[in-house]
Amino acid sequence: MGRKVAFIAALFGALALVGPAQARVEVQWWHAMSGVLADRLNELVEKFNTSQDKYTVVAVAKGNYDEVTNGVIAAYRAKRPPEMVQIAERGYMTMLLSGAVVPVQDLIEQKGYKVDFSDFIKPVASFWSYKGRMSAMPFNSSTPIFWYNKDHFQKAGFDKPADTWQELESQLYTIKSKGISECGTVLPGDFYWSLLENYSAINNQPYGTLANGFDGLGTEFVYNKTKVVSQVARLKKWLDDGVMQIAGQGFSPEQLFTSGRCSTFVNSTASHGNIERNATVNWSATFLPHESDINSPLNSTIGGGAIWVMRGHTQERYDAVAAFLNFLAQPETQVWWHGATGYVPATNRAYALARERGYYKDHPTREIAVLQLSRGTPNENSRGFRFGNFVQTMLAQRQEVEAVFAGQKQPQQAMDDAVKRGNEILRQFEKLNAGKTLETERP
Amino acid sequence: MTLRLSIPWRDTRAPVLQRRHGGHQSKAGTGAAAGGSRTSGKVRRREQEAGLKRANFGDGPGLPTLLLLPQLLILLFFFFIPSLRALMQSVLLSDPFGTNVQFVWFDNFKTLLASSDYRQSITVTFWFTVAQNVLTLGSALVLAFATDRIVRGRSAYRTIILLPYAIAPAIAGILWAFLFNPAVGPLAQVLHWVGIAWDPNLNPTDALILVTLAASWKHVCYDYIFLVVGLLAVPVSLMEAAAVDGAGPIRRFVSIALPMLGPTVFFLTVMNFIYGFFETFAIIDAVTKGGPAGATNILVYKVFVDGFVNLDLGSSAAQSVLLMSFALICTLLQFRYFDRKVNYGV
Repeated sequence: MGRKVAFIAALFGALALVGPAQARVEVQWWHAMSGVLADRLNELVEKFNTSQDKYTVVAVAKGNYDEVTNGVIAAYRAKRPPEMVQIAERGYMTMLLSGAVVPVQDLIEQKGYKVDFSDFIKPVASFWSYKGRMSAMPFNSSTPIFWYNKDHFQKAGFDKPADTWQELESQLYTIKSKGISECGTVLPGDFYWSLLENYSAINNQPYGTLANGFDGLGTEFVYNKTKVVSQVARLKKWLDDGVMQIAGQGFSPEQLFTSGRCSTFVNSTASHGNIERNATVNWSATFLPHESDINSPLNSTIGGGAIWVMRGHTQERYDAVAAFLNFLAQPETQVWWHGATGYVPATNRAYALARERGYYKDHPTREIAVLQLSRGTPNENSRGFRFGNFVQTMLAQRQEVEAVFAGQKQPQQAMDDAVKRGNEILRQFEKLNAGKTLETERP
Repeated sequence: MTLRLSIPWRDTRAPVLQRRHGGHQSKAGTGAAAGGSRTSGKVRRREQEAGLKRANFGDGPGLPTLLLLPQLLILLFFFFIPSLRALMQSVLLSDPFGTNVQFVWFDNFKTLLASSDYRQSITVTFWFTVAQNVLTLGSALVLAFATDRIVRGRSAYRTIILLPYAIAPAIAGILWAFLFNPAVGPLAQVLHWVGIAWDPNLNPTDALILVTLAASWKHVCYDYIFLVVGLLAVPVSLMEAAAVDGAGPIRRFVSIALPMLGPTVFFLTVMNFIYGFFETFAIIDAVTKGGPAGATNILVYKVFVDGFVNLDLGSSAAQSVLLMSFALICTLLQFRYFDRKVNYGV
């Protein structure tokens, strides 16, 4: 008995010693960043943890986006999900209708934080909102921009890449025929995102019915009836003429650009960090081109990830989550993240702050993504995409485009097949989620 | 895994041996010894007949069960339970989080069999495994034959051939992808130089050739080890007699060694098929990711992509059920039709 008392006393003594540390509420955040981006993310979390003494966010790298998604699914099924998880843009519908998440706007407001959700940059806000309410916290938002080798363009007698695909094509053919570089451009690894989806948004082409899926799960793909078909034909022609190269497995498209082998490269603005570090060439960047018969190109759409809050935790933990999300929404945090990584600032206020401080005078190419995203008034075709099983439909589409590149199919045939396969996948998602609306139940 | 399995086997076996040699220390010990002697005569005869070794446990089902337990547990957790789950999942339509599950009978199978994508995957898998099998076994046979002819540096020769087995499949895949990358790969440059428009990123046939080469290269050493050992078992007297009769080395190999290698070759064929079906995943992932245009999208890779990337669990489960059935049918057919022709006499 006496021993027991002594033990309990010792325990309390120990608790008293570690008291302040124990009082901190710890929450987990699983993420998909690696390399330089993971370092920056850890710095960001450290900033939050040292900024206050009540909560500790633990950032856990769980591999790439697919691995993080599978990790959180397994954890949720085992009833041990993390509080927060970073999911890529393509997983939006899966997460939204999973019944496993808490809408972030509800959570933040319930916990009494004042975040101005109307201040988020339009394509960012509309992508992550459902019925006008933010369902996930925009974290790393990017958009594709057009990178080019300044020396190659100057040697060929051009100031910079042209604004339209038609003129750009003749520029790239000139560069090739003058022997300035081996290839005009390199096929991006995520060409479906930059050269088909964003292409459709910028050129005001519908991708699917029902406002690209915003108006319901009954949406069907229609890109086999739009300019996407001629875009695929254009890429095929460039490939055949040696104006465009494919990097292929074991080698990244970025390397072909940064080494000076290819003159241009379409890629996310988030590759600023890598290109600044690796490029041996005199590079710059500009807006993505548009079709010559489109007079006022629209905004591009976002890619990247957002933070989802998982269901099934205590209110104490949700206090910590809300505090962290509120921290992320602050203009200072946004500006820091923008500068450290190349991702766009998610709010107008943060963008204005970066501008005010003259950040873009030293880093002009970092402003392109923001300008391109906020260009014009977003309409049904440029607001973003709401397709269920969007990864699966994309892989089917990519396979069909590859069949065009391999010479097995004509562009029209391939896009017809891609749409047909895509629609079957959409119907399966519709069947699974029949009659479902977002649960707005409070956590 | 072999190592882990062998440890409990040894640990439990050791006291048994002691007991047998120690004789009368305990009742159980005598029982075991007595049981052993009662049946040993019959068993030994059967052993000789079958040409196989047979273990003898006198104590009834207790000890054998105990010895089998680790393996049974591993099978339970890594084979039976997952297989059962796959069977269940294959008749469900569910979201990845499992919050919304519908029973759909055989819809997943129907959709699969109706999809051109899946049929393409079957065709690709067929050609891939057959080509891989022929190539692997063929090269391993040539190398094993050559081992006998090499006098100097035989161990160095063998070590070099065995090296690829020590390389992780993903690393091997990246190696091959790089060597044959049309933009930067040195071997691709050689091909271009001799006038072959090699491009596995664009050309489906090139891609299939590339993954077949990579997969075979990785597996040749496995076949090679078995064949070299098999060749050692061929009676020297037979070879010498043939030599005296004037048969050259190739004739001796083809007419004497090869038929006697029958069981080994048969075993390797089965193993190569299983390797091609299941274990080439990492190579595909590193070399082509199943592309271009699905040209290297073999069944096991498709199971992975549909399950872990597309999160279409029902279809992925249905595919693994079908894949398992294919592998089973394939192995049974091999036993049914080839096993009879194999000479187990050696």
